[in-house]
Amino acid sequence: MIGIDFSKIGDLFLFDPNDPLLFGSSLFLFLFVALLIIYRLVAKSNNTRISILIVFSLFIYYKASGIFLLLLILNAIANFYFGNGMGNAKTQGGKKIFLILALVFNLGLLAYFKYTNFFIQAIIDFNIGNLELLDLIMPLGISFYTFKSLSYILDIYLETMEPTDSFRDYFLFVTFFPNILSGPIDRAVKFLPQIRKEYFLSNKEIAMALMLIMMGLVKKIMIADYISLNFVDRVFDEPVRFTGVENILAVYGYALQLYCDFSGYSDIAIGVGLLLGFKLMENFNYPFKAKSISDFWKRWHISLSSWLLDYVFRPLQIGLRDWRKAGNISALIITFVLVGFWHGASWAFLFWGLLHGIYMAIGLLVQGPKRKLYLKYGLNKSKIFGAFQIFITFNLVAFSFVFFRANDFNSAIDVFKQIIFFFKPGVFIQFVESFTPTFVLIFLGFFFHFLPSSFNDKSVTLLSKMNIFVQAIILTLIIWLVTQVQSADLQPFIYFQF
Amino acid sequence: MISERLKKIICDELYLDSATIEINDETQAPEVPGWDSLNHANIIVAIEKNFGVRFKGLEVLKCNNVGALQRLIDSKVSK
Repeated sequence: MIGIDFSKIGDLFLFDPNDPLLFGSSLFLFLFVALLIIYRLVAKSNNTRISILIVFSLFIYYKASGIFLLLLILNAIANFYFGNGMGNAKTQGGKKIFLILALVFNLGLLAYFKYTNFFIQAIIDFNIGNLELLDLIMPLGISFYTFKSLSYILDIYLETMEPTDSFRDYFLFVTFFPNILSGPIDRAVKFLPQIRKEYFLSNKEIAMALMLIMMGLVKKIMIADYISLNFVDRVFDEPVRFTGVENILAVYGYALQLYCDFSGYSDIAIGVGLLLGFKLMENFNYPFKAKSISDFWKRWHISLSSWLLDYVFRPLQIGLRDWRKAGNISALIITFVLVGFWHGASWAFLFWGLLHGIYMAIGLLVQGPKRKLYLKYGLNKSKIFGAFQIFITFNLVAFSFVFFRANDFNSAIDVFKQIIFFFKPGVFIQFVESFTPTFVLIFLGFFFHFLPSSFNDKSVTLLSKMNIFVQAIILTLIIWLVTQVQSADLQPFIYFQF
Repeated sequence: MISERLKKIICDELYLDSATIEINDETQAPEVPGWDSLNHANIIVAIEKNFGVRFKGLEVLKCNNVGALQRLIDSKVSK
């Protein structure tokens, strides 16, 4: 007889602040497969299917955030009624009142939980007043679901969509578990119509979902977690103990880690969503292939960058259009400082955002001369020049992430100092010898990233033609492979903290 | 219908040859080469100047294709 302690099993389903139900954990995989089986059994009844999905979503959020589940429910109720109120308002003034109410409610809660202590600390640091920090815990995913809800409100205001009259549909949009904790920040205008569609998956969609989930697990667990624990973290903890060449490899390694961590999460979220019959927004499109910083932001965290483009940059830019170039630049700088601030309440994130704002502003200022130069020398058609642009863009991005990752500003400066004054290129050979698996993973990570995107499409087509048993074997193999490399504990996703 | 005048303003602003570019009511900004989010404001300013009109911010933001932009201009000019 195998003794099972049922009280322990019960505990698995309770909120534990140190153990959110991560994608990739065995409990999640088990529950998700169970959900899929029930989901397919009741596929014919749309109501039952959606109800099950809502209950499961609420459970996942409760498991990660406990009592803050109530805040999420409040968010859904409030925004549903703000949206409806706006839709029913007869005048532009009436609409504006609901817009202001919604902005105050959503941004107020976000600001309270995420930014209060930052401002208190600033008041203390600048000796403006004598305050004490509050004991605040940030509800997981609040930055993501607040922005999701706001897109609904703003799209109604901009007349991109009509408010939905179904509270159930809106509730599922806000609480949908695949993207609740870390995005993609989906738009209601795309998500809501999918709820009432018949549940049907083509072979191609199943293959694509499996591919996304497998790639996501490999990116997150095999690459991101491994290189961070075994190399990147060590360097960033004490940059001065390492040579410049190791620091630069850690900078490149961190760029890859952040990409694999976050896009890995997005891939799994999109794959899981697809298996449930929902197409979520694309979030990454080979960002390191970008040839300029503006190109990079069309490929990196697309759901956030397009959100800020639509609801912050465009209104600012149109409002400031009489200033011509200065208006454009002001709108860019403000938007990117907000990008930084969205990531976290710290000076480092603000600086990181500002840096990207400055990159973009410089790009705008040299736009005219650049176009003439490229035309004159036919540079746009040159592959070598294209590679050069990719290299420069990648370095600008990777070095900006130093401020994102470094423990504090001084240690970020240390990274740069080591690279400039203590490079020691000879150490590279030693590094490859002593950190062989790390080096191989970094190399493979970038190698797969730079393969033509048709490679991925071909793999999906191939997978879709396979028998379901072969697909299951491949999935099992990948999960097995991932668990072999998995380092002790599954590391929380970096973007959970935002 | 998109007027030749509007088409010419857009093409001039983007250094395009208006004879080779197709712009109709349904055309959206990203479909026109070079019409990106950065120079969107320049195009709006050029239109305002040329037609001698002034748009409200929200009116511009609500335009989701060139047809909507044309209707906005028409509504201002006929006033």
